[in-house]
Amino acid sequence: MRTLAGIALFGLVMLPLPALLASQVWLNFLVMTLFFALLGIAWNVVGGYGGQFSFGHAAFFGTGAYCAAVLQAQLGLAAWLGFALAPVAGGAVAGVVGFLSFRYGLRGSYFALVTLAFAEVLRILANSAGFTGGGSGLLIKLAPGAANLQFADRSGFYYLVLALVIAGLLLSLWIERSRFGSYLVAVRENEDAARALGVDAFAIKLRAIVLSGAIAGVAGAVYAQMFLYVDPGLAFGPTMSVEALLVPIVGGMGTVFGPVLGSLALHLLSEAGRSVLGQAPGLNLALYGVLLVIMVLFLPDGLVGLLRRVRRRFLRGRADA
Amino acid sequence: MSARSSTRRLTRRRFVAGTSAAAVAVAGFPAILRAQGGPIKIGLLHPVTGPISFSGLQCRAGAELAVEAVNAAGGIKSLGGRKLEAVLGDAESKPDVGVAQVEKMNEAGVAAIVGPFASGIALATTQAAAKHGIAHVVDVGVVDQIVERGLANTFRFGPGLKSIVDTALSNLVKINDGAGKPAKTVMLVHEDSAFGSGMAKTLNERLPALGFQVLETIPHATPTRDFTNIALKIKAANPDLVIPSNYNNEYILLARTMRQQGVRPKAIYSILGGGANLKFIKESPDDAAYIIDCNHWFDNRNAEAKALRQKTEAKGLFITYEVMLAHECVRLVADAIERAKSTDRAAIVKALAESTWAGHFMPYGPTKFVNGQNQGARPVNLQVLDKDFKVVFPPDVAEAKPVFPMPRT
Repeated sequence: MRTLAGIALFGLVMLPLPALLASQVWLNFLVMTLFFALLGIAWNVVGGYGGQFSFGHAAFFGTGAYCAAVLQAQLGLAAWLGFALAPVAGGAVAGVVGFLSFRYGLRGSYFALVTLAFAEVLRILANSAGFTGGGSGLLIKLAPGAANLQFADRSGFYYLVLALVIAGLLLSLWIERSRFGSYLVAVRENEDAARALGVDAFAIKLRAIVLSGAIAGVAGAVYAQMFLYVDPGLAFGPTMSVEALLVPIVGGMGTVFGPVLGSLALHLLSEAGRSVLGQAPGLNLALYGVLLVIMVLFLPDGLVGLLRRVRRRFLRGRADA
Repeated sequence: MSARSSTRRLTRRRFVAGTSAAAVAVAGFPAILRAQGGPIKIGLLHPVTGPISFSGLQCRAGAELAVEAVNAAGGIKSLGGRKLEAVLGDAESKPDVGVAQVEKMNEAGVAAIVGPFASGIALATTQAAAKHGIAHVVDVGVVDQIVERGLANTFRFGPGLKSIVDTALSNLVKINDGAGKPAKTVMLVHEDSAFGSGMAKTLNERLPALGFQVLETIPHATPTRDFTNIALKIKAANPDLVIPSNYNNEYILLARTMRQQGVRPKAIYSILGGGANLKFIKESPDDAAYIIDCNHWFDNRNAEAKALRQKTEAKGLFITYEVMLAHECVRLVADAIERAKSTDRAAIVKALAESTWAGHFMPYGPTKFVNGQNQGARPVNLQVLDKDFKVVFPPDVAEAKPVFPMPRT
């Protein structure tokens, strides 16, 4: 109940922000923070709750992005159709990757490597196939208007991504509370024990990765609509895979708010680095890296874990008094 | 107690006074400064970190030198000598970061933006700048769609890809014809992302019609560090021409491996060759010798071009086309502001659209923008001769004759 209230509060706080923020820089910052939170929510389903560390979420993200771009740029179909089909495409690719990996019992680093390889294979395929525009990528025609899922004002994307993040948070909450989620956590904690108790680990993991791929596919479509350009490196390159897993790891894996907190922390950190050291090329990235190492070293359960510990100490302090 | 509460009241009052003063300082003074004619901010947006940081840094260096040059020459005279001030931005080789930087530059109050070297970033940043009506002069990005989307704020001073390929092929035919048509067969070696595969596709379509037979097209990934197999394949096929389309390191490694394996075609002829630069020539003069590249380059004979080369080398940098184009794009913007007599963004966009600037050192003639593309912009053919880059074609700007075919020794 408390988490649901948290999501409602999050929505209420975030909803009026575009009207209150005079700065487009901060609005853009929030859009990108929410966007990476969405990608993190996708990874969190299979990586956080399911314990299956994917290093290749770009495969699902890129599929969604290409789905949106190909349908519009090559087939001339409506943007909203591409947007609606992106989760189907992302989920389908995730289903194939999941089926092949889980069917043959790949776990841990083997699963991570296979997902990484799938993303690479898709990058090479997108590079050579004609309908993806090959290495030149695809350019979606610039036609501002909500009908084309292009918003002249940044706040349009803000509300779109916010709605998707809230839906993602509600989905995460459902996972935490549902039987499916309990099975998934059981598989994460001890797959053999879960199987011994009658959990169909293969089916549960497959469902989780399809769900995760679908969300990543939506994120891909959003990215394509925001920048109107997709190429194999952007869509299937390792950057998105790393962003997708970094956000929940920093925020707190297997928690509802972990990806949002992680995304906010990482982007604030990166923005602060840029503001302070922006004139010296690369120094901000070095600082970002150092802080990231420190965070991962000292906050193994992420920011959500830190908040929990602080809260516990605070409550204990009050009880002692 | 009363003393303490009075201190607190005083502190609060002081705090309010202090905050108000700060608010006035933050919000008020820039406005006053602007009114009094402070510097005119120009956004210089380049990918100075990430995989294309070399080119980004070169662009930034060229653009900063131009800002210095404009200021040293008395600033914008029609605005009482107001100086230019560079607002630097790092696009980190990513379109989304490029867009975030445009938003920052907008709030910093830039009059125009110059950048961002890469086409993928330019597609995103020109769109973001259009929302705020900021003139965005694209310095290098060659993808034609950048200026084909009807964005009134977007201008490209240099040539686009189609024009470059057209010129390069037309020059190749002329050079080949001039030498008695020794070259008939071609092999293409290209990297497999946007630039290389796009170029290979176009060349495969166009070369047969020009009388060249494409023997084989070999793609490779970036990075690739071992070109032995590719060099041996070229040796086996023995083409007259090798056309590489790849980035800096692969371009250099391919040329080096070809020489090591004794592969000597009649010419290595590249279009926008990634590694065809002075750094390669100085470091490996024998590997680079006689390579022909069709690329952006200034008129080597121009006095200002020579001065820029000296200034760049004085900074410990090599002169590259990135330095030249970014430099001239800043001067183009300065010329537009000069004529607009205003820092109003719409006035600058209008002045750029009407620009007939002839004071630059590129071999283009006066600027004339149609849908944002400078019509006179053209690339030139360069050849590595006497351990330097010489313009060898077209004849009106050539400083040496092309050595074609290259000596077989």
